Amino acid sequence: MAEALLAHMPALAVVVPLVAAPIAFLAGARWGRPVALVASALSVPVAFALAWLVSAEGEKLRYQIGGWEAPLGIGLVVDGLSATMLLVTAVVGFAVTVYSLGYFADKERYRFFWALWLFLLASMAALFLSADVFNLYVCLELVSVSAVALVGLSGQRDALVAAMRYMLAAILGSIFYLLGVALLYGAFGVLDLAHLAAVLGPDVTGQAAFALITVGLVLKTALFPAHFWLPPAHANAPSPVSAVLSALVVKGSFYILLRLWTDVGDPSYVPGMGTLLGVLGAMAIVWGSVQALLQERLKMLVAYSTVAQIGYLFLLFPLVEIAGSHVVDAWSAGVFHAVSHALAKSAMFLAAGAVLSRFGHDRIDGLGGLSRRAPVTTMAFGLSGITMMGLPPSGGFVVKWLYITAAIESGAWWWAIVVLAGGLLAAGYVARVVVPGFAKARDDASDLDVDAGRLPRRMEFAALALALAALALGVLGQPVLDLMAVGSPASGVIPWTGQ
Amino acid sequence: MASVMPKSPRSVRLAAAALCAGFGALLVRAVLAIPEDHPGLAPVVAERIAESGVEHAVTAVLLNFRSYDTLLEIAVLVLATIGVLSIAGSHSSVWAPVAEEADPVLSALARLLAPFMVLASGYLLWAGEHAPGGAFQAGSVLGAAGVLLALSGYARPAWVSRFGLRVVISVGLIVFLAIAVGVMFLGGALLEYPDGYAKALVLIVETWLTVSIGAILVSLFIASASPIEELRARAGDGR
Repeated sequence: MAEALLAHMPALAVVVPLVAAPIAFLAGARWGRPVALVASALSVPVAFALAWLVSAEGEKLRYQIGGWEAPLGIGLVVDGLSATMLLVTAVVGFAVTVYSLGYFADKERYRFFWALWLFLLASMAALFLSADVFNLYVCLELVSVSAVALVGLSGQRDALVAAMRYMLAAILGSIFYLLGVALLYGAFGVLDLAHLAAVLGPDVTGQAAFALITVGLVLKTALFPAHFWLPPAHANAPSPVSAVLSALVVKGSFYILLRLWTDVGDPSYVPGMGTLLGVLGAMAIVWGSVQALLQERLKMLVAYSTVAQIGYLFLLFPLVEIAGSHVVDAWSAGVFHAVSHALAKSAMFLAAGAVLSRFGHDRIDGLGGLSRRAPVTTMAFGLSGITMMGLPPSGGFVVKWLYITAAIESGAWWWAIVVLAGGLLAAGYVARVVVPGFAKARDDASDLDVDAGRLPRRMEFAALALALAALALGVLGQPVLDLMAVGSPASGVIPWTGQ
Repeated sequence: MASVMPKSPRSVRLAAAALCAGFGALLVRAVLAIPEDHPGLAPVVAERIAESGVEHAVTAVLLNFRSYDTLLEIAVLVLATIGVLSIAGSHSSVWAPVAEEADPVLSALARLLAPFMVLASGYLLWAGEHAPGGAFQAGSVLGAAGVLLALSGYARPAWVSRFGLRVVISVGLIVFLAIAVGVMFLGGALLEYPDGYAKALVLIVETWLTVSIGAILVSLFIASASPIEELRARAGDGR
């Protein structure tokens, strides 16, 4: 029985939240809450079981849906990368669910939140497990539709405008992606990722398809200069939604790019693409950070910080291409960044949301003395800031260390400068909040209502738990690095061709 | 951030046109390079179609070989409906008559046509097994019948409660999921229909999908037909 259960674990990771979603829809305002809590709690042991299975096996696991072998049927694939992303999704998803129970106190008004939220969790799990380029398109659609609906949840004018803009960007991205998939199928006649990798040749249709898919996914990931939709969408969404959009949703489209450029093909498949993505990433780091320094509202600052942090993900592509024997460092740095940023950024948005909910505003110049009024929340914000800056002992430090090693060892030291400069800029925007926050409040610098009621504890502690997890990644990074390397193109198990 | 797009200067529009032309050229080049006689997966489908439980290749792919895609697609439809209900605000606007005063001739005609449309929907559903058709086509006709009735002044029938409407919207997804997971208890993978039961299970799934797709299309139509002024009023914006 236990073995049968383990064999079905990949399917369960998708099915648990997917079954819960329509149940939450039927259950309505009151009973949607426990349904979501149970489903998101169950997803955590399922994700751990998958991580354990993959580590024990030491190689990719495949699960054929409907019993049809690829290329006829659709497969789920679990390797270290998907297991890692699933684990982050489950952990962040559970923490955000706990936070949301406090945040959405108005049960009737937000009665559709729980169903939309469970659909988003299910679609993220489906995306990280899918082994089929067309199925990935369906997953992307599920992710986008639920994310757009969640951004517009409050019905406020700004939120609706931001949701509309987000939807247009997301649909355009989907169309590019789908066009690419159609070309891939036309050129190679298969949709399964492993089959595609086996037959991918230097073919102009294939290269065009990769370029189109990349344009679409760059738009969905909000890489500079396609980031225009992100700050308003992430800042105007309800705070638990902001947290998940920044922490997980943008990583979904990045994950597909990573699969295509390092698993199916490699960055040299389209000449110059790796460098282009890296340069855009570097520009994102600088532009996003500078914008974060200029924002007046806390949630906008955090949203622009996401624009900057997305840039680090894309430094992976040029470095993987040139790093030679240090390819593992470069690849691991990018994936590790996806993990540590997911934890730290969700903590930061939850903390910002707690401030906004409690004091009714998030103007940065009115947050002096915050630590005395909301110590746990300020702590959560500060600790997640350490990861953004990349200071030891945080997860962010591991990322910077690996990137800088890969850059220096491959002689491309300029990428190391970008990484270091990004850290300094991050220190600047985190300090804008934390320094006055811990200072003794002067009357003119503080606009925090003394009579503001306390927030539910679970909101503050959900944020703190995620911030601590991001910090702990720095100390406990090795097991995570080992997990993500299982079956990866950079692990040495599968020799890296780097043609 | 400005919410109204400024009119672009001429140079920007020319640059956009150049970009689109370049993009078009790239697409043409990529499409022309596709090998013409590539069979894709069609031979594999033809080889295994006998095991799928249906005779029509499209239905075999949608409801059996790649049924997981279809499962997620119906999830997208249900999700989109929930999203629209959530943004449109209230259930009360769903399935209220769209037209306040309907033309009596239109009203009588819709009443006459609706049963035939349901019949046509049933035929398309059944035909999908061996000819073009199936749940999506049948559901569209069912949905069209609902839209026609709503436009002709017919309100939601009293026996369809708010909860009932939610059930009808999600029943296709729920039945599909129940079968997808249920077969795992018989020792198969997710969505692995047991030998000899494929045809029956596909028909059950398609029938309930038809009902839900019809309800979803009607709900999407009516919810998004709610007056824009009402949305603006709620958003606290007078313009």
